Amino acid sequence: MKSFWKLTFLLTIIFSMAACSGGETSQTGDEIKLILGAYTTPREAYGEIIPLFQEYWHEKTGQQVVFEESYLGSGAQSRAVIDGFEADVVALSLEADVTRIQEAGLITHDWKASETGGIVTTSIVAFAVRSGNPENIQDWIDLTRSGVEILTPNPSTSGGAMWNVLGAYGAALRGQIDGVPADDPEAARTFLKQVLANVTVMDKAARDSILNFEKGIGDLAITYENEVLVGRQSGQDYELVIPSSTILIENPLAVVDASVDKHGTREVAEAFVEFLFTPQAQEVFSQHGLRVVNSDIAAATVDQYPIVEDLFTIENFGGWQSVMEDIFGESGVYTRAILEVQGGE
Amino acid sequence: MPFKNIGGEKMQQIKKGWGRWVLIFLVLGYMGFLILAPITALVKGAFENGLMPVLRVITSPVFLQSLALSLKIAIIVVILQIFFGTSIAWVIVRQEFVGKPLLNGLIDIPFSISPVVVGYMLLMMFGRNGYLFPIMEKLGIKVAFAVPGMFLATLFVSLPFMIREMIPVIKNLDRKQEFAAQTLGASQWKVFWRVIFPQIKHGMIYGLTLTLARALGEFGAVLVIGGGVQGRTETTTLYIFRCLDERRYIEAYTASIFLGSFSVLIVFLADWFKRRQIRQHRNDNGFVG
Repeated sequence: MKSFWKLTFLLTIIFSMAACSGGETSQTGDEIKLILGAYTTPREAYGEIIPLFQEYWHEKTGQQVVFEESYLGSGAQSRAVIDGFEADVVALSLEADVTRIQEAGLITHDWKASETGGIVTTSIVAFAVRSGNPENIQDWIDLTRSGVEILTPNPSTSGGAMWNVLGAYGAALRGQIDGVPADDPEAARTFLKQVLANVTVMDKAARDSILNFEKGIGDLAITYENEVLVGRQSGQDYELVIPSSTILIENPLAVVDASVDKHGTREVAEAFVEFLFTPQAQEVFSQHGLRVVNSDIAAATVDQYPIVEDLFTIENFGGWQSVMEDIFGESGVYTRAILEVQGGE
Repeated sequence: MPFKNIGGEKMQQIKKGWGRWVLIFLVLGYMGFLILAPITALVKGAFENGLMPVLRVITSPVFLQSLALSLKIAIIVVILQIFFGTSIAWVIVRQEFVGKPLLNGLIDIPFSISPVVVGYMLLMMFGRNGYLFPIMEKLGIKVAFAVPGMFLATLFVSLPFMIREMIPVIKNLDRKQEFAAQTLGASQWKVFWRVIFPQIKHGMIYGLTLTLARALGEFGAVLVIGGGVQGRTETTTLYIFRCLDERRYIEAYTASIFLGSFSVLIVFLADWFKRRQIRQHRNDNGFVG
């Protein structure tokens, strides 16, 4: 009986200690809180940029910016903001995810008004292959070879995975793949199906996919150039292969009006967004495998980020709205292709 | 006739035979492969670069913050479950009412629903478009993407443990003692503390242990409802998840070991406590009965 009370007493102490230590930081005059809701890929870059911004803002205003960061898959992050996660700034993988927040009425300004159309970084769809490229994978056509095991995330959960599908389908449509005539949607769809037939693992997010590749699964991962470069920076020995024709990935950024108005953080949020376009921040993005919109830095890093022979963009498909319907919609090209492949056709 | 002999010589033979060793070897091998091998791999991974990196992790503010949040949620949840779990079990065993089978069925729902779905269900209640959102907004209480939502999620997933543990314990209560105490004029309160409580406390502690371990280990539901905001809604399991994503493996392994050992320690403590109580009980009653 006595020891039961001792235990209860002990638990009460631990409990009250835990309860005390969890207090939230308050929004005082010389401290301001900024909430960043981002997709998973650029988190290493933000880890370096945020301290730079804090320093910049402190010098300018004397205020200390306290950051709250959340990194989820782009689609999941977009839904979280709509469901009530009050991010002041969202940095996502694709425009459609920002548009969804806009359609929910939380972004009310024209976020695409800036010079770059709200795009802060870019990348391209590329391949990660095993060290020494034992399967000799050079271009999209090699992905259809029998026995090649491919990893690519699932477009239904990973917004970014859509880029991979668009890369394969687009290259085929543009007549950049041997044996696939240009502007022939049926031939391009058949090619896409051949690629999908070799996909062995479909993870829920781009990072999961490349991490599984690191664990030794598969011969190649269709992923973003920056995922491969960041992986190599962390000591992985796989190699980057850039296909001759691929899509430009464009990552948007926006201030969420509903959140900043509620928190009174518009000024600092807008300053942070602006800061991400400065050469200082763009340089950091560039060091973390991302292509940047700042033309000076892009020109200076052209050795690291070679120009792609045939680079196309989402506009070649008529923009995100038509892509979401024609390719990923209920009877879209991809939706039908994956059903047929999984149906064992 | 094998059945006749089994109690005597045959039993002796089985004990001495090699078959027994095969069985023991099989059991140890199975447990070793299933439990010990992964733990060994984890420990090896954490200490890959020696002790210093491990110490750095367990003293880092981010990890400690996540641990404080995990403990805060788990302990409050445990306290609530002790009270409500025991009450619900009591009502189910001792009371008869119309909706009882329904209540009994409801209890097991958290076992069968995936935690991720639990998170989404709560979002549909408390998210910006949830039906309780306007009320909470007026009250100024943030539930979704905040700690209160994580409490609710953890309460939901850990609900059955205490109740399922307490139902048989309450069923087995010796009612004669209760009646005797009542006959002797003890108040309801006194009957509970002096007669009932000593009989059910082992069950309570065991239920508490399971609830605590479940609460500390919860992942999917708290990720969805909490959003995994670093330093605010990031529990230790979410911290581990993030470290794996960021290829910071030593951090992830170290935090896993820490969290795992904590749960194991609690289970051992409860077990030790239970055995000590049983021994005491025997000593107390040994010469009386």
